[in-house]
Amino acid sequence: MVPVPDRDSARYWAALANGALELQHCRDCGHWTWPPRPVCSGCQGENLAWEPVKGTGKVYSWVVNHRAYAPEFAALVPYTIVLVRIDEQDDILIPGRLLSAVEVYQDLRVRAAPERLTDDIGDLNWVALLE
Amino acid sequence: MSETRSRFPRRQAAIVGIGCTEFSRDSGVSTFKLAARAVKAAVKDAGLRVRDIDGLATFGVNDSISPNVLAQALGIESMRYYVDQWLGGSVSLSVLGQASLAVSAGVAECVVCYRALNGRSEIRLSGSSSSRMRPPWDMQFRVSAGYIAPAQEIAMAARAHMLRYGTTSEDLGRIAVLSRHNALDNERAMMRQPMTMEDYLASPWIVEPFRMFDCCLETDGAVAVVVVSAERAKDLPHRPVLIQGAAWGGGVNIVNNGRTDLAESPAKLIADRLYSAAGVGPADIDFAELYDCFTYSVLSQIEGYGFCEPGGVPAMLAKGAFDRARGSLPINTHGGLLSEGYIHGMNHVFEAVQQIRGQAAHRQVARHDVALVTGQLGYVSGYSSGVILAGG
Ligand SMILES: [Zn+2]
Repeated sequence: MVPVPDRDSARYWAALANGALELQHCRDCGHWTWPPRPVCSGCQGENLAWEPVKGTGKVYSWVVNHRAYAPEFAALVPYTIVLVRIDEQDDILIPGRLLSAVEVYQDLRVRAAPERLTDDIGDLNWVALLE
Repeated sequence: MSETRSRFPRRQAAIVGIGCTEFSRDSGVSTFKLAARAVKAAVKDAGLRVRDIDGLATFGVNDSISPNVLAQALGIESMRYYVDQWLGGSVSLSVLGQASLAVSAGVAECVVCYRALNGRSEIRLSGSSSSRMRPPWDMQFRVSAGYIAPAQEIAMAARAHMLRYGTTSEDLGRIAVLSRHNALDNERAMMRQPMTMEDYLASPWIVEPFRMFDCCLETDGAVAVVVVSAERAKDLPHRPVLIQGAAWGGGVNIVNNGRTDLAESPAKLIADRLYSAAGVGPADIDFAELYDCFTYSVLSQIEGYGFCEPGGVPAMLAKGAFDRARGSLPINTHGGLLSEGYIHGMNHVFEAVQQIRGQAAHRQVARHDVALVTGQLGYVSGYSSGVILAGG
């Protein structure tokens, strides 16, 4: 299912289309903001710069989805959705499908696996980092 | 100067009438007709006439009929208060709280809160979304992950609770079994065949750790409740059900930064305010109707509304604390959204009013003067809502 970007998120989706996970980084307070928003979640300022993050984190929680909630997902069922706490900041939990066929557990290390859907829109899923 | 003259707000509000339609999988009629039937039934129950209504309030996701349209169809010419709140179960009780404020303030005299939906036959809220449904802002950040349904979000929180406190499938199953048991002798309930723990464990996975029986029903139907001033309530036929306290709001949801611990109950964010408004504490609650879109939501609210410490629900379940006949805190005495039907939380208010009036027949709980009734806790929208009702 292709996301519908808005004026605040277009850059985020475009970066993913180009293979990069970029988030808004505040030049005033240093906070990272996700999902993309017009103001910083740390200081509510607008002095935000798009910057790539490392793209790594660890699984906080997960579900195994057995039901296709929309026809687009029917071919994927069952699939695992992980909620990933990114390394840059504790309070950012980003969901995505776990593409690796591994046993999932809390704190499993993962990295972002962006995928191009259209020229302007990419997808964000996760793969296990084997250390 | 002006503050000494102000009479805003000035009085307490009470629920004096309740009405509902049949709860079914296919109503065969429009949400417009369902709403009209429930509102008329509630007003009749209150001993009032439709023309006495001067306020209508509802909520939904663009899946129902608006107060202004309904008012005009019902011939109400003196509308003073109308709210069509966008959002789901998290506002089911803030709509009632806001109506009671309108009556308290003298903005309106007779407000009917209703929820009418064809949640099975027309627009299913489970995530199999309709283009008519207004999606939440953050949906664009979930669609590509296939993470679009409330069941998935709350299962994510349930998993976090299991990891942190050792909560098990059987613990969730006990909540499903209890709800079903309470539905068996409820003539309104959609699910009236017994369920055992074996049945629960054998039900198919929907989104692990949730099985089918962890998830609420999808229902066509409507419920309406009539709110007037406590003073006027004294002259009406039934025992007044006072709105002792109401609270709503909260913080952030799963996909907005700030929430780092999903195992912690979002209900905690409003519980103190709610009890303080009502002037009671958890020990004073005789029974509770807790928003149960999923079994885990019930567990999380028992913690969040202060009936036990985090991780304490399994021990209470084992002791039968929530049993309708003998428990210290009967919950979801009608079977809840899990087994009675999914009227988006408004059916919890209907049941609580029947219990407080002593009209719940075979379901009647022994102590029925003070009830906690809640909306969805803030996992999806970030906000929770709840009211404390008391017999007058
Ligand atoms: Zn900042």
